[in-house]
Amino acid sequence: MQYTLLITGSPYQSKACHTALRFIRAALNKYPNSIKGVFFYEDAVLIGNQTAQPPRDEINLTKAWQEIAEQHSVPLYLCIAAAVRRGIINESESRRYELEQHTLAEHFQLEGLGTLVDLINSTNKVIQFR
Amino acid sequence: MKHTLIHLNSSPYSSLACKEGLDLALVLATFEQPVDLCLSGAALALLTDNQEPTAEQGKNLHKLLAGLEFYDIENIYIEKNHSWLEDNPTWQGVQPLNGDEWQTMFSQYQQVFRF
Repeated sequence: MQYTLLITGSPYQSKACHTALRFIRAALNKYPNSIKGVFFYEDAVLIGNQTAQPPRDEINLTKAWQEIAEQHSVPLYLCIAAAVRRGIINESESRRYELEQHTLAEHFQLEGLGTLVDLINSTNKVIQFR
Repeated sequence: MKHTLIHLNSSPYSSLACKEGLDLALVLATFEQPVDLCLSGAALALLTDNQEPTAEQGKNLHKLLAGLEFYDIENIYIEKNHSWLEDNPTWQGVQPLNGDEWQTMFSQYQQVFRF
């Protein structure tokens, strides 16, 4: 059984990113190949902002997700339209918009909703966290 | 191929949720994936005719409704007996379901995403 996680809840206004993190850790712990990918949509894309600085006595959610990607080779996709609208921009988008900086954190990648459709069709189940 | 239901539950003017839910529906349809919509709660405001939001108030998503059939999105469900809908001129492309039908609907899809 392979899952795709669709996360739509803001990391600051919901527990979606936190709960999904607990789920993915549990799933990967028991079945190492059980997660095909994670797709962040709506305000959940804010997780991929490399310039966000959480207080030091709180969880660094971006870093926690980066560790998942690094340790388990799980791709972390951010919806490109939702991300760019919210200022989460990679190098190529930065050039396209003639900006001087980019803000996309390492291990996250910008992809269109077509990638989500592909994930939907190639995994057994999609679980939404909102 | 999975049959998807997009459940719009948020006000079209209080956040981007409605727009981003509709965007997902349109992309699924573009990739020829069967997708239906249902609306409840504050999202029902999407159906009201003669909306003229300013730029500050948000995008006029009501205008998207007429184009849904061109994407083969033909099933848009609401729950029956909303007096607010009966009292206001609203888009007529919806199919009202009674309480039981509304409840049953959710189990007929392989996946439901809520916005």
